Amino acid sequence: MTTLSKSMEKRMNAARPRLSRTQVAALQTELDAVRDSVMSTLGERDVAHIRKMIRRARGSAIAGRAMIGLGLDPFSFVVGVAALAHAKIVENMEIGHNVMHGQYDWTNDPALNSLRYEWDNVCDAGMWRHFHNYEHHTYTNILGKDRDFGYTILRLSDEQKWHPFFLFQPLWNAILALAFEFGVGGHDIQAERLLNGTMSWQEFKARSKPFHRKIRKQLAKDYVLFPLLTFWNAPRVLLGNLLANLIRNLWSYAIIFCGHFPNGTEVFSEEETRDETRGDWYVRQIVGSANIEGSRTFHILSGHLSHQIEHHLFPDMPAHRYAEIASQVRAICARYGLAYNTASFARQYGTVLAKVFRHALPSRRATPAFA
Amino acid sequence: MPSAAPLLRRAADRVLRASWLHPLNDADALNDLLGWVDPRWSLTEIRAELVRREPETDEVCSFWLRPNHLWPGFAGGQHLSVQVEIDGVRQQRCFSLSSDPAEPRLLRLTVKRHDGGRVSRWLHERLQPGDVVTLGAPSGDFVLPARLEHPLLLIGAGSGMTPVLSLLYALRTRAPQADVVLLQVCRSPADELFAGELQALARDWPGLRVQVWHTAQRGRPDAATLLAGVADAAARETYVCGPAPFMAAIETQRQALGASAPLHLERFGLPPRAPVDGAAADVRCTRSERAFAAAPGTALLAAAESAGLKPAYGCRIGICHTCLCHKRSGSVENLVSGERSDGDEWIRLCVSAARSDLELDL
Repeated sequence: MTTLSKSMEKRMNAARPRLSRTQVAALQTELDAVRDSVMSTLGERDVAHIRKMIRRARGSAIAGRAMIGLGLDPFSFVVGVAALAHAKIVENMEIGHNVMHGQYDWTNDPALNSLRYEWDNVCDAGMWRHFHNYEHHTYTNILGKDRDFGYTILRLSDEQKWHPFFLFQPLWNAILALAFEFGVGGHDIQAERLLNGTMSWQEFKARSKPFHRKIRKQLAKDYVLFPLLTFWNAPRVLLGNLLANLIRNLWSYAIIFCGHFPNGTEVFSEEETRDETRGDWYVRQIVGSANIEGSRTFHILSGHLSHQIEHHLFPDMPAHRYAEIASQVRAICARYGLAYNTASFARQYGTVLAKVFRHALPSRRATPAFA
Repeated sequence: MPSAAPLLRRAADRVLRASWLHPLNDADALNDLLGWVDPRWSLTEIRAELVRREPETDEVCSFWLRPNHLWPGFAGGQHLSVQVEIDGVRQQRCFSLSSDPAEPRLLRLTVKRHDGGRVSRWLHERLQPGDVVTLGAPSGDFVLPARLEHPLLLIGAGSGMTPVLSLLYALRTRAPQADVVLLQVCRSPADELFAGELQALARDWPGLRVQVWHTAQRGRPDAATLLAGVADAAARETYVCGPAPFMAAIETQRQALGASAPLHLERFGLPPRAPVDGAAADVRCTRSERAFAAAPGTALLAAAESAGLKPAYGCRIGICHTCLCHKRSGSVENLVSGERSDGDEWIRLCVSAARSDLELDL
């Protein structure tokens, strides 16, 4: 274990200067101040934003479903699918993800309450809150504890142990992209534990229940209720809804893979993150996350996950505020010598894809694997 | 034959609850859509439009509201919660109804402005005719008894007159000949609530006697003197609404007089007790019907766990919102930011410490 942490240290030293305890404490104070400057001004503006997003998603869904269900020509089909996909993307990314993070719990509005919200995809909200809000956001990029790193089916860093299974990971990656909502939805079942014998069949079945219930609900809506509603057009509705779900899957997959997997993001071992202060946790969030540059529309469609660094520092801050604090966060990172990883979508996703291919093969240099 | 309205409402409830119809029956979406047509419309919420404001005194204002079809009516003496959105945050407070319960389509709330009360201040300063507020269902047992067996004594001190007046209206409907003494305690004639209405009531109601005690002139009344001024006070079924010490004094004096007729007290929500330095606050859990002590500076999650409760939790450092809990009342401090907040709101148990006695949905 000691050799492991020493080599780990070496790797980190190579990447960035190690901060002293005083520096970490000062960084914590600075970032807390950024957080407080926003949280003390939460108000009407934030509620107006999220309600506008809700209206946008609803309006787009109604328009899209109407065009798919009632239209007869290919043009209305294409526009309808685009509108429905847009609705699902805004609902999943900017509304669902952010509301379920508790970003609007302070409003006391039941429609914006993180415990009550359920989003439009096959992932059960309760399971999501557990593995995402709790596991992923607390243990970000700690191999062995953050099951989001590679989603247990992809090897994306030298530190992950190689296995012949990963030889085919470009294929796993493509399947995950197309069926992303199912990947996300099934994530918290922790099926890998069934395979390695640390979970019983009973437990597996019990853990799967909310996922199955949610799948049934979603399938009933998109592939039974709406096709029946305009039954003369049922095949068109079935296909349109399938395509809209597919587009949403590809989009959210691409955005989310750019959050922690591009070049330059660091991973951690359990032992080096023991006894962390909030300052240490902040550092880990910064160097473990990556931003994507883009327009305001792009940020909204990504649910502001394009500001992944700000999101990971302040996961329960209303996300539309991230753009306002990004320059402050960037300046703080510069002062402490921490890399602020930001680039275009093409660049970030390109490096992710390169990693998927590169790490399919065992690493050339012997790097300690700690998970 | 049953009327169609309840049947329709039951059918609507069924439709709203049918999960297979989702999202066609999404109540939030439908309510927003209806509200867009007419802000009073809703499938699930009692929404009411302000028709008229009536200043009663310098500090007290009456608000006449026209509720939507979900308004179930109320019994004289009851109160309800008013929900308003202030700076993006939903706030709710309880206020007593002061109108005649026999009036089905209009209700009146009489509200005293408190400088520290966000909602009362907002109502006084911001609510204008045409604005719409959300109401809770009326509740409270400060109402007439099932059978009127005794003559009555109604005592209202300060804004405590509010429920007393609607009680009096209810009484007029049920027993127009009843023998009733109404005692109002207030500072001065300028602070007398509903003087005109009481006069009008007394004109056609020989059994009603109205007595007013002005504290500016006569000082605070002691219960003995007050009750001595009422003929056979001990034999009267008595309703009191006012400050807690005042009500306690009346209760004690009635016992001293050997009163046998029932006594009803309407306690306005007092600010929760703030423990003196170092002492623990009492936390009442509404779901489990248990209680625990929370020391100052200790996270409520830890305090609840050491009392044997098992609230849901995740990160325990304020990140994940797994321990989010509905706080009904009381004041807490955020252990990370030091910020204090109070009232009906949602808090994270892992980073909140009690600053007063609390009521949690746990």
